[in-house]
Amino acid sequence: MKNRLSSFNGLTLVKVLIYLFFGVFLLLPLVSVFLVSFTGQPINLLGSITNSNILQSTIEKFSSASFDNYEKIFTNKTYFSAVQNSLELAILVSLIVIVMCIPIAYGIARTTMPFKRTIAALCTIPLIVPTFISAYAIIIMFGRAGWVTYIYNSLGGEGMLLDPYSMAGIILVQVFFFFPYALWPMVAAFKVSDISLEEASLNLGARNWFTFIFVTFPLAIPGVISSALLIFTVSFSDFGTPIILAPKDLNLLVVEAYREIAGFFNWGGAAILTVIMVLVAAFFFWLQHLFTKGKNYGSVSGKPKQQKLNDAKGLTRTLSVYSLAIVIIPLLAMLSIVLQSLATTWGKNPLPNGYTLSHYQTIFTSSMGNIQNSIVLALGALILSVIIATFVSYFVVRQNSSKLDFMTSIPLVVPGIAFGIALIQTFNTAPLHLTGTALLLIVAYTIRRLPYMVRSTMGTMRAIKQDIEEAAVNLGATPLTAAITIIGPLMLPGIAAGSILVFITVIKETSISILLAPADWAPMSLAIFQNILRGEYYTAAAMSVVLVIIVLILQAIANRISKNQL
Amino acid sequence: MGSVKVSELTKEFSGVHALKNVNLDIQEGEFFALLGPSGCGKTTTMRCIAGFEQPTSGIIQIGETKVNHIPPNKRNCGMVFQSYALFPHMNVFENVAYSLNIKQLNSSNMAAKLPIYLRLLNRKLGKYPKPIEQKVMEILQYVELDKHATRLTSELSGGQQQRVALARALVMEPAVLLMDEPLSNLDQKLRHSMRNTIRRIQQDLGITTIFVTHDQEEAMSMADRVAVMDSGEVKQIGTPIELYSRPSTPFIANFVGTSNVLKGTVVGQENGYSVVKGHGFLIKSTNHVEQKEVNVIVRPENIKAFKPGTISSDELTNMIEGTVLVSTYLGSIVRYDIKVEEYQLVVDTTFVPGEAILTEGEKVQLTIDPERVLLI
Repeated sequence: MKNRLSSFNGLTLVKVLIYLFFGVFLLLPLVSVFLVSFTGQPINLLGSITNSNILQSTIEKFSSASFDNYEKIFTNKTYFSAVQNSLELAILVSLIVIVMCIPIAYGIARTTMPFKRTIAALCTIPLIVPTFISAYAIIIMFGRAGWVTYIYNSLGGEGMLLDPYSMAGIILVQVFFFFPYALWPMVAAFKVSDISLEEASLNLGARNWFTFIFVTFPLAIPGVISSALLIFTVSFSDFGTPIILAPKDLNLLVVEAYREIAGFFNWGGAAILTVIMVLVAAFFFWLQHLFTKGKNYGSVSGKPKQQKLNDAKGLTRTLSVYSLAIVIIPLLAMLSIVLQSLATTWGKNPLPNGYTLSHYQTIFTSSMGNIQNSIVLALGALILSVIIATFVSYFVVRQNSSKLDFMTSIPLVVPGIAFGIALIQTFNTAPLHLTGTALLLIVAYTIRRLPYMVRSTMGTMRAIKQDIEEAAVNLGATPLTAAITIIGPLMLPGIAAGSILVFITVIKETSISILLAPADWAPMSLAIFQNILRGEYYTAAAMSVVLVIIVLILQAIANRISKNQL
Repeated sequence: MGSVKVSELTKEFSGVHALKNVNLDIQEGEFFALLGPSGCGKTTTMRCIAGFEQPTSGIIQIGETKVNHIPPNKRNCGMVFQSYALFPHMNVFENVAYSLNIKQLNSSNMAAKLPIYLRLLNRKLGKYPKPIEQKVMEILQYVELDKHATRLTSELSGGQQQRVALARALVMEPAVLLMDEPLSNLDQKLRHSMRNTIRRIQQDLGITTIFVTHDQEEAMSMADRVAVMDSGEVKQIGTPIELYSRPSTPFIANFVGTSNVLKGTVVGQENGYSVVKGHGFLIKSTNHVEQKEVNVIVRPENIKAFKPGTISSDELTNMIEGTVLVSTYLGSIVRYDIKVEEYQLVVDTTFVPGEAILTEGEKVQLTIDPERVLLI
């Protein structure tokens, strides 16, 4: 017992606080939402502890708990089609992305394809742009008044080439803006297999295409499948695209859940949809994890092997043209946004009718508040996640706290909209009435982006040897002082890089902002969203450009920091 | 300054005994070495004393105080780590000043803590008070590093880093100085000069020092007393001379220097000698033991080798005949591997210029002074 007491130091207190934080803001909301999926009415678990009346009503609600909501998945047509459509969308997007990326990945990994660097650079564009902005860009291009439609019509086409407000539109956006998530793992997968195997196949008399199908591709399959599963989860959880593009008659889980909560305050309905979302996302995440773990065909050999690249002229040129044609589309989308932001008016024309800076003037006078909000909120989330991530990685690396490690990875599998619903549901009454406050918004951003931050700080932490810390303790420092004066400064580069990424992702964040941000704390993403809904397209475009530029600058800084580290 | 007493120290790591009933009684001002092969528990013992490991059972005392429940940061044991564990983001001065900063931090109130934290985080954020600066420079002078005070530790040579680590541990005026294989990262030549440096400083300051090493030469040349450890147990404690001349087990006899170990049975007493019979030899010893089955320990330099027929009659006691297998010229000595029945003995003879070295296959007669034959 005495031993216990003496080891109860500042660090233990920090650990308890972190557990408390995750307990209250991550586990409690998820558990509550799970319970609500049975009761159909909001459950106030915290209140039940502090107030006996609430406890009484909670018990009553439990006594009426049922599987009604679960039955509704199959009986309620709206819900059933929402599940069906969401799965269909995610499957289609991942299949299309994989097929589309195979030639590009092969080109980058195994050939001397021209413009390789340009292609790789263009591939980063989709990662910078929030999906609801990309969705909006597609409207500018393919909409009724879009320039693609204009060109299509002047070439003799009838109506629109592709209606952006449809499943096809959503697929289009997700395919062209999510493909880099799959491309790089696939490039890595293609790099695994050895050129000598292909040469052996050729030597045995097989033709090029035969070799690719029966030798090269099978070796890359584990990486390809894992990429497909990743894209599935990303597409399934995406909120920004469907909320802009989904037509009224197209039910998707994310949109349906949002409508239930924001439109009808149907707690039970939102809860059951949330539970389904989390379960599906978690399942596919787990599946993907399983694949990357199990079937890694020796990509980690320490022996650097010189790879001979395929330099057949016809093949590399074809691949290059194909790849450029694909990566140019996100670029065109972004350019469309830029043009729109500078246009006096633009419609049914390949180019704007005139140019003006007045939209920027508008946002810098009337929407300055949104930019400020975004920065303040992102800074808040940044500070909170720096503190938590630093300590979490300390506990995980130094004290083998695997429970904490697991807890911080939970947000990876919870789609943003699901997490948002869980939070609203849990914190909209006393004793912790936080819905509609900036604090809850910051906490939500923090938890959602913490896994990325933790990965970054954990890497740096692993590089710091244990005996350096022991030396500090030996010299008289308490573990907490040692953490602050020795570990902290040594982790600074990792923290800096990680925190910029948190900042970027928070500024881009859509679902949490739309669900949780109160009017006086509306960040840029919410302002853009509302502008689009109100039809103020030109200001939305200008704001999007500002947002992307902020992200671009920060990304450049982050890249520089992590480069200096190496 | 203080003595260190370890009683019945036992440490288990998930069921495996890393230490079994270790007892050490280290005097104030003593230079004490823990010697043993890797995995013998010497580092674990030291980490228990420093407080980085909690013993499963047993008592650790520093001075008169039982320290089992004192956290490592309050034990006042200066430790020099095997890797030196210098703080890479601090320069030499800051490394050495660290413990003084911490001391000041612990003794000041909330408001006064801030400037100390600031200068701990970055040297540009705060000035060091005069007393700390003086003390640090003094100790740096002592280890001849005062000219490198503003260097980053990564810019120093191995020997210099070693001295920073030493200065950093010494500046806090520890009750005990702990050193974990401090010389293992240095090259041969530097190791020799650092041995002398460490020994000189230890003598100068009269500081109780515990030194962990696997190198018997290091332990024997530096320490006042040595504890030889093997598989978690202390096998023998003694001065280097005691360990060498009276090893208590064949393991120690071979770990501390080289020994010839022969198995035999005591068959009787004769003129004050114990007579031991083994396979193909009969040997006399002035040593008396109680048990019948004994290990006969003879150091290589205590065996004399003669060409057959050249032995004078007064040296005929303990004469054994053998054949030279290998002869190795080692400068001042010649080492022979000699086959005697089923044994292979190592024999060192002084090389006398002009005298012929015995060649392989040659018959040889060996004699051993009964006083140099140890029975255990």
